[in-house]
Amino acid sequence: MLQRLPALVVGLITALAGAAAGAADGDAARGERQFQRCYACHSLDPNETATLQGPTLFQIFNRPAATVTGYEYSEAMRAQAAMGLTWDAATLDRYMADPDAVVPGTRMSVPPVRNAQDRADLLAYLARSGSYQR
Amino acid sequence: MHRVLFATVSAWLLFCLAAAAQESKYYELAKGDYPHDVAVGPAGEVWFAGQKAGIAGRLDPATGKVERIPLGKDSAPHGVIVGPDGAPWFTDGGQNAIVRVDPTSKEVKVWPLPAERSPYTNLNTAAFDGKGRIWFTGQNGIYGRLDPTSGEIKVWDAPKGRGPYGITGTPKGDIWFVSLAGSYLANLDLESGRATVYEPPTKDQGARRVWSDSTGRLWISEWNSGNVSVYDPASKGWKQWKLPGDKPHTYAVWVDPDDKVWLSEWTANAVVRFDPATEKFASFPSDRPNANVRQMLGRRGEAWIAESGTERIRVIRYPAKTN
Repeated sequence: MLQRLPALVVGLITALAGAAAGAADGDAARGERQFQRCYACHSLDPNETATLQGPTLFQIFNRPAATVTGYEYSEAMRAQAAMGLTWDAATLDRYMADPDAVVPGTRMSVPPVRNAQDRADLLAYLARSGSYQR
Repeated sequence: MHRVLFATVSAWLLFCLAAAAQESKYYELAKGDYPHDVAVGPAGEVWFAGQKAGIAGRLDPATGKVERIPLGKDSAPHGVIVGPDGAPWFTDGGQNAIVRVDPTSKEVKVWPLPAERSPYTNLNTAAFDGKGRIWFTGQNGIYGRLDPTSGEIKVWDAPKGRGPYGITGTPKGDIWFVSLAGSYLANLDLESGRATVYEPPTKDQGARRVWSDSTGRLWISEWNSGNVSVYDPASKGWKQWKLPGDKPHTYAVWVDPDDKVWLSEWTANAVVRFDPATEKFASFPSDRPNANVRQMLGRRGEAWIAESGTERIRVIRYPAKTN
């Protein structure tokens, strides 16, 4: 275990740095308001009990796509996941700006978040729940 | 054994022949228009909600010409219906407003929701009651009512919070909506706005859209269960049927003037027509994958379909009963 510790530490630092880089210019408080765009279908609550149309966004940063247990992903999302799609900050930013450009045929029909500051604020809010833990 | 085989083949042939008796036509839209919902006007003109482009689209079915009318800054219309005034009315999530386009002058009028309900309620769908007022749902957990004459807007919190999705008016002018996350049907008191909840028999069924037939029965597309269900307010009874195929997901529902029930089913990438009299389904698959039909609406002999995934409008012309 001790031999693996350096690799684990490096991995954790990389993950947190990735989340922080995307969220650095954002304001989480403003992002919480922006999250109203996502709220109907997504939750950040790890104990969410409602049956929502989208998967949880709890610790979404650096999560490999289509890996929330029990969620029925679309064929389009599973195809991108098979090609290695991972939700790092840059990918999340691109997905919010143009979902179809990242996952052609995605079921998510939310209009693009065109304003870069709004996306940065959203990323900052999403980052509050931390990064994906394998 | 032969008898079973014969019966199976005959049933399949009848199913295919029924579907083949219809005529499908597709209209290509501009890339990025993303038609979420569609509605047909009194002269046969077809309106669509161009959600990602922030436009009202007007299609002339005879020529295929599309007119695109910008609805305002940050517009992202989800729903469109044609009101009793013959005009298209939009539920515009991006502007958090109800929007009307004058069908002649193309003038756009915007009624924003009250400030305390800003910036975003995820406005979904609308329906008119029998008194000229338009009712709407917001998926973040609200429903509301706009009186276009006075401009008064009232908004209420929905039972169980987030989820309000499809909404419909009955021939009597009553208003009902369904909650996708809440998995219920609700009837609204037209004056007090109070919601009375009716739970479909299937738990967590994901009631997504609702439409009234000519007798006021409510037909519901259930996304999670893959069912179509019906509630009869007169008898207070429910019935439901599973759509054909493996793991169906039912999205759109529209009941035509002959009381046939049209649905979209995403796993089979098809529009499906259900005949309540025979309890049989007929299937009309799209000619392209991932059509992602989120809503449909029509008039006698014409079922209009918004293919958000292929950015096309489809019409199925079918033999209708004559009056």
